[in-house]
Amino acid sequence: MEMFFSKKKKELEPKVSLDKLQGEIEQEIWDDLTKDLSLTPHLKEEIKKLVKERAREELQKELKDRYAELREEKVEIPPPEEKKKEEVMYPRLSLDVRIQHIILMVSTIILIITGLPIKFHELAWAKFFFSAIGGLQVSRILHRVGAAGLIGIALYHLLFLAFSKEGREIFKELLPRKKDLKDLWIMLNYFIGRKRERAKFGKFTYVEKFDYWAVYWGMVVMVLSGLILWFLGTALKIFPKFIADIAKEAHSDEATLATLAIIIWHFYNAHLNPEKFPMNWSWLNGKISEEDMKKEHFLEWVKIREEEEKEIETKKAEEGKFKEQRGENIL
Amino acid sequence: MKKIRIIISLCFFLISLPVHGLTQELPSNQECRHCHSNPNLKKVLPDGKVISEYVDFDLFYKSVHKKQACVYCHIDATNFPCKNLQKVNCQRCHYKGNLAGAPDLIKYKEYGESVHGRATALGDVKAPMCQDCHGSHYIFDKADTLSRTNKEHIPQTCGACHLNIYDIYRISVHGEALRKKHILAAPSCADCHGEHNIKEHTDPKSKVFLTQVSVTCAKCHANMELIKKYDIPVEPVETYRESFHGVAIKFGAKTVANCSSCHEVHAIFKSDDPRSSIYVDNIPKTCGKCHPGASENFAKGKIHINPAKKEAGIIYYVSQFFKYLTLSVMFALIIYIILDLRKKIKVRRTGEE
Repeated sequence: MEMFFSKKKKELEPKVSLDKLQGEIEQEIWDDLTKDLSLTPHLKEEIKKLVKERAREELQKELKDRYAELREEKVEIPPPEEKKKEEVMYPRLSLDVRIQHIILMVSTIILIITGLPIKFHELAWAKFFFSAIGGLQVSRILHRVGAAGLIGIALYHLLFLAFSKEGREIFKELLPRKKDLKDLWIMLNYFIGRKRERAKFGKFTYVEKFDYWAVYWGMVVMVLSGLILWFLGTALKIFPKFIADIAKEAHSDEATLATLAIIIWHFYNAHLNPEKFPMNWSWLNGKISEEDMKKEHFLEWVKIREEEEKEIETKKAEEGKFKEQRGENIL
Repeated sequence: MKKIRIIISLCFFLISLPVHGLTQELPSNQECRHCHSNPNLKKVLPDGKVISEYVDFDLFYKSVHKKQACVYCHIDATNFPCKNLQKVNCQRCHYKGNLAGAPDLIKYKEYGESVHGRATALGDVKAPMCQDCHGSHYIFDKADTLSRTNKEHIPQTCGACHLNIYDIYRISVHGEALRKKHILAAPSCADCHGEHNIKEHTDPKSKVFLTQVSVTCAKCHANMELIKKYDIPVEPVETYRESFHGVAIKFGAKTVANCSSCHEVHAIFKSDDPRSSIYVDNIPKTCGKCHPGASENFAKGKIHINPAKKEAGIIYYVSQFFKYLTLSVMFALIIYIILDLRKKIKVRRTGEE
């Protein structure tokens, strides 16, 4: 879009027809949006409408600025009529996935609360924590309860990925692709203002993929090292002591990394982000609004709408066939 | 005038009274020396033990009590022959505000609460009293090499009763350093157990109670000056405190290893000494005290590891890997968040993408 305006800047004179300009802008947005998509006719219409609205906004804004510059006064252009629609919600997370997330969350919180005071034992709150909870021994038992929850949900998740249709589909979507790097590049350019459009994401954005795979890495390190420390006697029958020492160091360091990642990254993306505050409700209701869907998972939204269209069409076709058959029978 | 005469004669009488009337003459040291300078003077106790009653007066006249008469302490030695004398009570002179000018050390309270003091109070005749440690006739300042409480002599002093422990201590790394190499920084009994305030090792107030051991050892083994001067390996106390053993003991675990669980109590040797509990071949047995079935795998790797130092070997590299991983990941994520937030605030303020 910027390119477009900068080209037109010199040519722009009051003579230029507004309709023609709007038409050009529409075409530009349309081309940009549908570059690599094949769409059903119905959906095409709907997107075209959206594009028209968007082009109008852009043009008005541009004109507003331009005229204000020329006349050194502000021109009030009435905002487009607000259409109140009922918000459409799309399913985002299944009940199964939500329960998995809750178990993972509770286990992790228990593990962090009972684990960090051992690493940061010299701090005053560590002493306070152990005296409040009833001693180190109680804390160790709780830590193992948390560990059992974490290991249990990790194993369940692997089975879920391998043996459920939903799991296999999610896993395919979560695999990292080249597109994620491209998306990241687009978003970084968007943040610093070199691009006006956000990247178009599929079912999972690279942020979500990063979160998911970071947990994989953390799980492998924490569970393996944790099991060695838990069953130290057995472990030392198999491994030399320095393996246990590495396990201890890795357990302690990765715990710090994971905690920081949760507090900084996950809290920002799911809670403190101004668009999500106080939280992204998907983890409880499993749904996402159409607005968020278009903004954050545009390609997925297109895919879902296309499927809906196809369904409607096939239904219509079936109904038609049915009617024909009935008609034939009647005849 | 009559009254004055009476008063004056009364005064004379009163002044001369102690000399002539109420006190009898006490034997002088010279009189005691008469018999007690004989090296063969012996006494047979009721239980058949024979003890020498010889006093080396030459040595006595060098001691801190050289100006005191025998009878000042042996108050019941007034008649010849002096039989069945009581044990000397030091508190007769050494108390607060005494007129004899004896140093007031006020150690009695500490002694009274100690394992020795309580045993004495309960009537244990074997329990030591002042003179058993400090000596009876030959008491010197503790800086004096003749003193029984001189640092180099303390092991023998305690060993007089605790013979089996002295026998082990004598050959331990601490004992050898003190006795053979005359390193005064090496600990004698009193450096670990205390002096007058010695408690049982099961008493939480004891310097060798299980939670206190690392504090007591730390007096020397966390002292950088001593570590450098005597080339004591690594930083054992700091690394112990960072280990799970150290953390657990800090928060009240009672079944966790302290220094002496692995290094032994008195039989402490260097790690390359086959007699040592931490000699590579002995480690499975030592660790096995708490970790049943400990194998030789326990000896494959360092103990007292500081991950921040290169000597830690592979643990150092693991720790460095996580350090830089954490730093770089957090740096990238925070930059991303700042860019994202900045853009969102901009969009919100200006209302355009």
